[in-house]
Amino acid sequence: MVIIGENIHVIAKAVSTAIRERDAKVIQDLAKAQTEAGADYIDLNVGPMKKDTEETMQWLVSTVQEVTDLPLSIDTMNPVAMEAGLKACQKRPLLNSASGKTGSKEQMLPLAKKYNCDVVISVMTDKGMPPDVDSKIESIMDTVTYANELGIPNEDIWVDPILLPVSTAGEGQRFAVANLEFIKILEDVLPGVKSTVGLSNVSNGVPDQLRPLLNRVYLVMLGRNGLYSAIADPLDKELMSLIKGEMPKIVELIYKAMDGEDIDLSALSQKQVEYVKTARVLKGETLYSNAWLES
Amino acid sequence: MEYKAPVEAYSGVVREVTIGKGKKSLKIGGENILPLHFFDQGSNPNPAKFALEVLDMKPEDWPEHAVEPLRDVISNSVSWAKKCQDFAVDAVSLFLVSTDPAVKNAPADKAAALAKEVAEAINVPLIIYGSGDEKKDVEVLSKVAEVCDGMNLLIGPVLKENYEAVGKAILDHGHTAIAQSPLDINLLKELNVKLSKFFPSDRIVIDPLSSALGYGMEYSFSLVERVKQIGVITKDSMTMMPIIANLGGECWKTKQAKENKKQGLLWEGMTALSLLLAGANIIVLRHPETLKLIKETIEAR
Repeated sequence: MVIIGENIHVIAKAVSTAIRERDAKVIQDLAKAQTEAGADYIDLNVGPMKKDTEETMQWLVSTVQEVTDLPLSIDTMNPVAMEAGLKACQKRPLLNSASGKTGSKEQMLPLAKKYNCDVVISVMTDKGMPPDVDSKIESIMDTVTYANELGIPNEDIWVDPILLPVSTAGEGQRFAVANLEFIKILEDVLPGVKSTVGLSNVSNGVPDQLRPLLNRVYLVMLGRNGLYSAIADPLDKELMSLIKGEMPKIVELIYKAMDGEDIDLSALSQKQVEYVKTARVLKGETLYSNAWLES
Repeated sequence: MEYKAPVEAYSGVVREVTIGKGKKSLKIGGENILPLHFFDQGSNPNPAKFALEVLDMKPEDWPEHAVEPLRDVISNSVSWAKKCQDFAVDAVSLFLVSTDPAVKNAPADKAAALAKEVAEAINVPLIIYGSGDEKKDVEVLSKVAEVCDGMNLLIGPVLKENYEAVGKAILDHGHTAIAQSPLDINLLKELNVKLSKFFPSDRIVIDPLSSALGYGMEYSFSLVERVKQIGVITKDSMTMMPIIANLGGECWKTKQAKENKKQGLLWEGMTALSLLLAGANIIVLRHPETLKLIKETIEAR
């Protein structure tokens, strides 16, 4: 599993302040910590970037490259910022992201071709978020075909099905199940494409102390179904241990829960029970509530 | 080849909850089948029950056609409750609206004394709804529970903000709880999980909030339907409780119900029938003639 470190993100106040004040240390510390923790890429999420776009992006990319040899994921919706970022990268970067929306398709995808980089393409289109597996597949096939016509091969495309919070009343669990299914069949419909997800989205809106557990379990589940990479928190040690195969017993339990096997909870430790219950919520077997570990 | 219609059997059973004591008691829930799925395997031992509203003060904003059948008793909650029995109710639901700090802020003692007087005056079980003010209800509902000790009233709303205090009083004095959450199945389950840690699950009735026709009823419908499906099909212990649809007040707030009587009865009747089809186990109505209309509809007369 390729991990794209998510921690340099403008939503974090420390990061947005550091970018505004050109405080290299804050940014570099985050880049170093993620590198040491085993990330494969460093994501630079700069948001919409309204002013000093190019200069800010160049500064950010070179500041990070001073302390890490990892490739970067340039994460912005702004095509000007995107091009400035891609241009400044020393290693082959990841363009994060394009979608099937007309503007994105026409402005971002040519950049991926021009800079010969990998590109995240989400299932979003002008009609919005496709609601189910079939429409997601239909949307992504259209956009990937468009990218192929520009000369971008499937192997350079990382498909993002877009995760939504599992806690969304009524709908969240349905989406979680649909995305598991989507990842499972993606390889068959678009051979050669890679995949990625913004993992922490799945636990948005959930009490903070419970979020990592949802993220970890869902990553293991998606991984089993063939997910290639995730934008995630490499500083979550347990998450990293899980995907590195250092917790085989837990992984096996999650797989059993996915398969609907009978699991004797009374024979398990509290931590193992929590992993099983979480898997059951994410596969839509038990109804989600914030108290899912307590019942 | 002969066609054989598939027959489903379900694993979940909605808990059978008893309200009231002795002769003044009734059972709700207990079904192991989805509403109207008579063709599947299973049964519903307790068809839907009906209660009428009684307020603890003379209503100020009711249209004339809602006051009319109750005119002689509407200033006296005890007489009003007794009169409900003339309309063949299964239960009476007393709303302690005057205790609301934004209405009269009536004291808890007074409300509790009235609750007891009403409960003793009628031959059917009593449902008590506090004002919904999460702080004042702790005081009011705890007092009601204490004064009516052992009568097994159905008391609510128990909310996520006050379930510990209100739940404890209801439990200690031998009553049944209405767990209410704001039209959200995840919050509904969370409250039941938390309440069930110290409160027996077979003494909980779910109030998912019932919106009126044209004012969000479809949300209530989907929610009631989903709670039933998850309880009966997937056997989720925390949704296998009977459901109360308290819809009278919501329906009679609407412009359409206030405009004229026929429209009001149909508005309340359609809302009630819809929620019955979704799976509600007990319905609280305002107008006695709506009750008559619904019973006739159910019996297809």
